[in-house]
Amino acid sequence: MSGEAMIDQWYPVGLISQLLAKGRQTLLMGETIYVSCNAVGKAIVTTSDGRDLPVTERYGHVWSSLGLPAAPLFDIPEAEQPGRRLVDVGVVRVRCSPLRAVENFLDIAHFPFVHTDILGAEPHTEVENYKVEIREDADEVWATQVKFYQPQAARSASGGITTEYMYRVPAPTCSILYKTCPPRPSEWDVITLFVQPLTEELCDVWPWMALFDDETPMTDLIHFQQMIFLQDRSILENQIPRRLPLDPGMEIPTRADLTSVAYRRWLKRHAFTYGAQLVAQ
Amino acid sequence: MQKDFSAAWTPVALSADLPVAYVIPARIETADVAVWRAEDGTVSAVADRCPHRGMRLSHGFVRGEALSCIYHGWRYGKTGHCLAIPAHPGLRPPEAIRVTVYRVAERDGVIWVSATEEPGEAPAHEGFTGLRSITLSATAETLAGCLNSALRHGTIDWKIDEMKARLLTTPSSEEGILLAHLLIEAGATQSQKRSASIALEALRRAAEAAVKQGEAA
Amino acid sequence: MILYDYILSPGCYKARLMAALTGLELTLRAVDFHPGAEHRGPELLALNPAGSIPILVDGDLVLTESAAILVYISGKAAPAWLGNGQPATNARIQQWLSFSARLTASLGGARLHEMLHRPGDIVALRAAGVTALRELEAALFEQRLKNEAFLVTDRPTIADIACFPYVALAPDGGVSLDAYPSIRLWMRAVRSLEGFIEMPGIHRLHELKPDPHGLPSSSEAVEE
Repeated sequence: MSGEAMIDQWYPVGLISQLLAKGRQTLLMGETIYVSCNAVGKAIVTTSDGRDLPVTERYGHVWSSLGLPAAPLFDIPEAEQPGRRLVDVGVVRVRCSPLRAVENFLDIAHFPFVHTDILGAEPHTEVENYKVEIREDADEVWATQVKFYQPQAARSASGGITTEYMYRVPAPTCSILYKTCPPRPSEWDVITLFVQPLTEELCDVWPWMALFDDETPMTDLIHFQQMIFLQDRSILENQIPRRLPLDPGMEIPTRADLTSVAYRRWLKRHAFTYGAQLVAQ
Repeated sequence: MQKDFSAAWTPVALSADLPVAYVIPARIETADVAVWRAEDGTVSAVADRCPHRGMRLSHGFVRGEALSCIYHGWRYGKTGHCLAIPAHPGLRPPEAIRVTVYRVAERDGVIWVSATEEPGEAPAHEGFTGLRSITLSATAETLAGCLNSALRHGTIDWKIDEMKARLLTTPSSEEGILLAHLLIEAGATQSQKRSASIALEALRRAAEAAVKQGEAA
Repeated sequence: MILYDYILSPGCYKARLMAALTGLELTLRAVDFHPGAEHRGPELLALNPAGSIPILVDGDLVLTESAAILVYISGKAAPAWLGNGQPATNARIQQWLSFSARLTASLGGARLHEMLHRPGDIVALRAAGVTALRELEAALFEQRLKNEAFLVTDRPTIADIACFPYVALAPDGGVSLDAYPSIRLWMRAVRSLEGFIEMPGIHRLHELKPDPHGLPSSSEAVEE
């Protein structure tokens, strides 16, 4: 299996709120696993041959690994802030590489065409320069000072605004977006994409959010995010090749794609290649 | 002796099924292609893949004389060169950003695509016009067999109620599925066209049943 | 008029689309269908024992079944969508409303299976979907022969709205629409209608608007 290095990562495998004693069968990197809970509701994840896998419960989700994660799951400090609404958006399955799913989440140039009149609209298609770095201490990809004009950026926005973003990749199939929070301009709304790799070309996407929004009903918050993700799904299922090319040549980035370029470089550096393809293959 | 170039051409679609400012997915032997008609009526065929992030161009949209990718709106002209990148509106994309372009011919209501550099004339079907395209889970041989007719370079002659008809077959983009274009006599009446469509449906039922029987045997 | 609605439900979308096309105002009450299964919770079961959405409430009237909701919305706001009142037209519309239930079961079932983990026999669901699509393709082809762009007559009716969403979203369930040229042309006709609104999985037709930028003149490099 390619992407051996990815085997020791944490991956989302279910919602804490939907844990059942009788369990649920799913796939993790090609292996069948079972997600259930014990008598006191604590999550248990096992393989078909009864092996217990590492488990952690955070950010509304159950996380597991086929290997041995070297560290606990990454931190999202904003998630602990009082007053935050924590939103389980609900899983969506997509026939694409888990890495393609993450890369799409990092991209903003598609907003006017795919999330038309919501996250972007013609003629406001320009992507201004922004900052990207691989933060060596945390070993994470970060994009900052990202800006984009949006007709309806969030449920809590009442018209067009220029939204500011930061993007963060703390793990190969997880991405965290920090965006302008209309009710509290000095804070960031946090929107995440936690991706479960079922196979190299099939994944379950578990979006999650930590927002400052006391007005909007929870269901509307869920639906807004589901709407955005579902608009991306038909794009993700029609990218060729399915696996993310990590070597230059097949695909041509521009300056608007700095985050994706850094993400691909970071994946390659770590040999995070489950769901990727290299020229040599 | 004239060399038969007909094998270089694939009948991908019917003219009537490709109106102005429209794009469709199609398949030739060596590639998936996006076939599109510009505002001025010209048909073009390009590799069905945007070189930016690999998105299928057949999901895109046609404005004026260019085909744009649905993902980030990259615009391609008839030569396959990228004309504009909406994320950078003032900047001209370099020559290197382009999609492979294929040869196109349109005649007798049929659109042909070739990957060959100089494919010669596309096959002629004098007196015929394209009517309807269907796909079916059967081989061209089975189809020809159902009609007791010969199969020549994917073409099968047919008669529907004394009217001449012809089937052009080619592999579809789906494994094991055949694409068949029905041509009928130019000048056929609306009633004859309807009968031909119904006959085509009956033929498909017969061919697919024959395949099932063959499988059961 | 209140619509109990789920943004990803093609059935609910039929109601939202009909309202948009006819200019009728709907108050949307979002139902947490997924992941919350709210449609099967006590409040909604009391309103609709079938446990389904959409549900339309207008005063004392409670309507379930998307076809019925289409009849009501168009009857109230734009009766031309119900056809010309001739027996044959009424019957043909009815035929397609009945047919649309097969699209929901097959293509809709495949979509729920592929996208939202709902159990089902995906092979059988897709095969039933293809059977239905072939019938729809044949009918739309014959309409084109008569120079009619829609299912019943030359103008759209609720028959088109009843069939459109599940067909347009067939690829969500792994059923490609490449094989159906007449269906794809009809989908474009529906998506080009004045007042048309999208749902997630159905993109805007960007070709309907001209390119807002001219062609660029600077040859400065765009690459990274």
